[in-house]
Amino acid sequence: MSLKRAALLLLLGGAVIPAIAQQIELPVGNAPAADRTPPADGAARPSIDESALRYFASQGDTRRLEAEIARLRALYPDWSPPADLFGPQSDPDLERMWKLYAEGKLSDVRSAIAARQASDPSWQPPAELLARLDESENRRRLINASDAQQWSTVLRMATETPGLLTCSNVDILWRVGEAFAKTNQMQRSLDAYTYLLTNCNDAAERLATIQKALPLLDDEQVKQLLALERKDAQGQPEFTSIRDELIRRRVGRAAENPEFVASSDDIARLETLARAGNTPGDPLLLGWYLFRHDEASRALDWFKLALDRQGGAKAAEGYVLALNSLGRALEGEPIAFQWRDAAPENGKAYLDVVISLLTAAPPPVLSETVLTRFSPVVMRDKYVPGAQALGWYAYNTGQLVVAQAWFQTALSWDPNDEPSSYGLALTYWRLNDAARLNALVQSWRGRSERIVALVDANLRAQLEARNLQGQINRTTNPLVAAALRVTPPPANAGAPGTGLAYTAGQPPTGFQPVPTQQFQPVPAQLAPAQTAQAAPVRRAYAQPATYRQPAPAAANRPRSASGDTARGSGGGAAALSRGWRLMELNRPIEAVTAFDEAIRTGSGRIAEEAAYGKSLAYMRKGMTNQAQVAAIEAPQSPRRAMQLTADLLAQRAYEFYKDQRYVEAIISLDERARISPEQQDLMMMRGWSYFNIRDYQSAERIFRALAAQGNTDAMNGVSEIEFARRLYKRE
Amino acid sequence: MRRALLARLGASLIAFATLLALGAGGATPLKAQTMANTVPIEAWNAYMQHFVAENGRVVDTANGDISHSEGQGYGMLLAFLAGDRSNFERIWSFTRTELMIRDDGLAAWRWDPNATPHVTDVNAASDGDILIAYALARAGISWSNPAYTDAARKIARALGAKLVVKSGDRLVLLPGVQGFSVEDRKDGPILNLSYWIFEAFPLFVQLAPETDWARLGVSGLELLSIARLGPAQLPPDWIAAPARGPVTVADGFPPVFGYNSLRIFLYLLRAGIEDSQILESFRRSWLAENGGVPAIVDIPTGRVVNQLTEPGYRMLGALLACALDRTAIPQDLRRFEPTLYYPSTLFLLSWAVLVEKYPRCL
Repeated sequence: MSLKRAALLLLLGGAVIPAIAQQIELPVGNAPAADRTPPADGAARPSIDESALRYFASQGDTRRLEAEIARLRALYPDWSPPADLFGPQSDPDLERMWKLYAEGKLSDVRSAIAARQASDPSWQPPAELLARLDESENRRRLINASDAQQWSTVLRMATETPGLLTCSNVDILWRVGEAFAKTNQMQRSLDAYTYLLTNCNDAAERLATIQKALPLLDDEQVKQLLALERKDAQGQPEFTSIRDELIRRRVGRAAENPEFVASSDDIARLETLARAGNTPGDPLLLGWYLFRHDEASRALDWFKLALDRQGGAKAAEGYVLALNSLGRALEGEPIAFQWRDAAPENGKAYLDVVISLLTAAPPPVLSETVLTRFSPVVMRDKYVPGAQALGWYAYNTGQLVVAQAWFQTALSWDPNDEPSSYGLALTYWRLNDAARLNALVQSWRGRSERIVALVDANLRAQLEARNLQGQINRTTNPLVAAALRVTPPPANAGAPGTGLAYTAGQPPTGFQPVPTQQFQPVPAQLAPAQTAQAAPVRRAYAQPATYRQPAPAAANRPRSASGDTARGSGGGAAALSRGWRLMELNRPIEAVTAFDEAIRTGSGRIAEEAAYGKSLAYMRKGMTNQAQVAAIEAPQSPRRAMQLTADLLAQRAYEFYKDQRYVEAIISLDERARISPEQQDLMMMRGWSYFNIRDYQSAERIFRALAAQGNTDAMNGVSEIEFARRLYKRE
Repeated sequence: MRRALLARLGASLIAFATLLALGAGGATPLKAQTMANTVPIEAWNAYMQHFVAENGRVVDTANGDISHSEGQGYGMLLAFLAGDRSNFERIWSFTRTELMIRDDGLAAWRWDPNATPHVTDVNAASDGDILIAYALARAGISWSNPAYTDAARKIARALGAKLVVKSGDRLVLLPGVQGFSVEDRKDGPILNLSYWIFEAFPLFVQLAPETDWARLGVSGLELLSIARLGPAQLPPDWIAAPARGPVTVADGFPPVFGYNSLRIFLYLLRAGIEDSQILESFRRSWLAENGGVPAIVDIPTGRVVNQLTEPGYRMLGALLACALDRTAIPQDLRRFEPTLYYPSTLFLLSWAVLVEKYPRCL
């Protein structure tokens, strides 16, 4: 029998007792340990213990008998098995102990030895029996310690009983390998697995060895282990399946941490596996990897597949997040809602999706369902960002009373939520509620610049200057972004009661984001008095050059509704084309009626077209508030919704300007500028608006910029400013 | 105040110090205590039959048949007191293999036959470790078994290193490694005065001299004299004993003088400490107010929650009456009949101390 030197045990010893420097003979195969050195001279040699041999013989256990004979021969080359091996045992008591040992009743053996020693103090148990007992007890203790994650004990047991560390005890070797890894002795851990793969031959155990090592070792170390791969009986590499596992691991890690990138080979292989399989695991893994590496569109397909394969909550979460990130939150919302209670992440995904819908710019058209099922969740969880988002949605769709209610609700849960307070302050400002605005501003003095800026002209100017320098922090938090999009009103808005009469805040009749039946957070008495119709500020100096009404591009856009109407239902489609005809005849009020009918009787694209038409009709009449309400009566495609909103805002800015309500004109232009670039005519309107509120600095900046491009109106503006300044100096 | 306390403590401290001095042999080897078996072999055999499985597991029959380090320690101590080397080895084999698995050399405290893995809480419980080490130490001496002494030394050292800690002026015994210290609990340390097994400390002085076991014992006696709480003036099972501030019932534990604390006086008598003030509280509650029977007492109200009439508990009352009043043990308690693990254990430990120290009552 050949004994093989193994460095593992040296390392083992060194790990716990560095003083141990000798190597230990380690047997291969199934032979038990042989750490007892044969004595050099025969005279000192103890009598050879044959009791185990006789016990195995008496039991007819030939496998163990042969192993024991081999072991004794290795230890004592001169020894040969006794002739009377199968004769009666000379010591029935000892035979009983071996029997108990063979049955695994270790405590009974210990007890029997102690009992015999108590009655016969001169009796010594066979050393071999004690060694076997120690080994078996330490084996159990090692397993118990490993199960209890007591790694030092595991290593101590292994060191005390190196005979355990053989291929017949691969489980022990695995546990030792794990204990090394868990105590940060990675090289020794690698040594343990290397030893196993070098010496042990069982195919299933070899494969399991790699699987055990995978979660503990790094890629480089696993690569070293894979180098020990052998060919199976069919000549196939034995670790093929592991290589796929490794790919999953690499991609998985890169999915967790976007700083890691998986190779295209890995992704390609995983895609093949994902398509070939029928489980959700691989598609899910791909989904997360691609999603976290900014490929939401590809990720979406894999999440979809995972979801179809019963991938459960994680698949739903990924699917929803991918849709959200693709700007398709509206599609994601129903799935998000369905899975919202499956796991905390799903609840979060649902909230994220709805919040991103609510805070989108321009505000999208949301169905009653989306809102009615969101607000109870917000109320139940007293979810401040949710209430705040509902506030912004209401604000951005001109429903100021509702916005006020939601912002107040958010603040009732968290009085220190600055964005909600900001929203509420803006709402008060637009509602012309100077008393409440001032009270709110007082409570935020020293805590929020932008809230204070609503009534503080100087601070307002500073903030604006900063904004112009592009110092607004870009952020991915949709709530913060929503709040940032709402620019504070210009400097002289500080006294809302004197100069502002903003009527856009009337809640629209057709649509309420606050579900009135299940939940009514707006107490009736909160409805603000909208009657203060203060006169616009009059300037003493002449109104500068005439301002040509900007023609919203969409209003003049030729219709191409034929393809859409063809698919529509009869009544709706007919009403829709009637509406467009009336528009061509410039009879917008009648067109509104026709479009209304189309909205009522048509569906899908018909209703969308009709809503669009209706808002154009109102715009034609200069009824921008009605136009905005009309625009959201049916879902619009994102691109059209954007265009429509931009047109509406431009129209509204013009209405304000015409009424000499310059501050509000600027606000409308600000809102519009966030979704669409500002053309020269609108910039001119902005410039004159600033001029009229005596913000010459802002006006001059704009005029000079336009004048530099050869705009003659702008050059007039510059000279007007110079004139006005001289005028004021004289004053 | 403090001086008065120490004055009252004085007598028992002197007794305890004497005890330690007797045990402490400096550098001299442990002396074998020649002593007849104090637990009758028939009683021990009956105990074995009821509460010790073949594999050496001591079964807590009132507690879902789980095992714990305390039970293994009691089993080993009783086997030693019965002079049963064979079964001592049986119980120790199980204890070592199944519980002595912690990296720090202490025993895992809880073992459940119906769980996999069986160790369901790997935390240590210091009374279990003290009992195991103490039983090993005594067996090592009496039976001249250096392996036992060696194992006892390792556990005693681990105890000293991990569970005996300074708390202000006191040296205290933490009940476990996790969850009781001043770092783990705002009101810490949380202590259990029935974990002070005083009789073990003189031996530990020799095994693990780096720890001041004498001072640990003195702190235990001091805390016992302070922790007489509520109208009944009894020590709660679990106390919060911050270094500065009064001793109170520990939050989150039942506010009772209960199954833990009722063994305190047994440990005192076994250690030869007869004049602690605490014995008076026991006397009043058990002998004056409850007809000689131990009772679970609600600390805040002083009301009796439960009278304990099983023989093992009545035996505690009888032992107290014997020690304080020389009352003879009633006839019906002169026979051991196993009931449940815990009272049966207390019965045999009481019997052993009667045989050893109060033969006049038998």
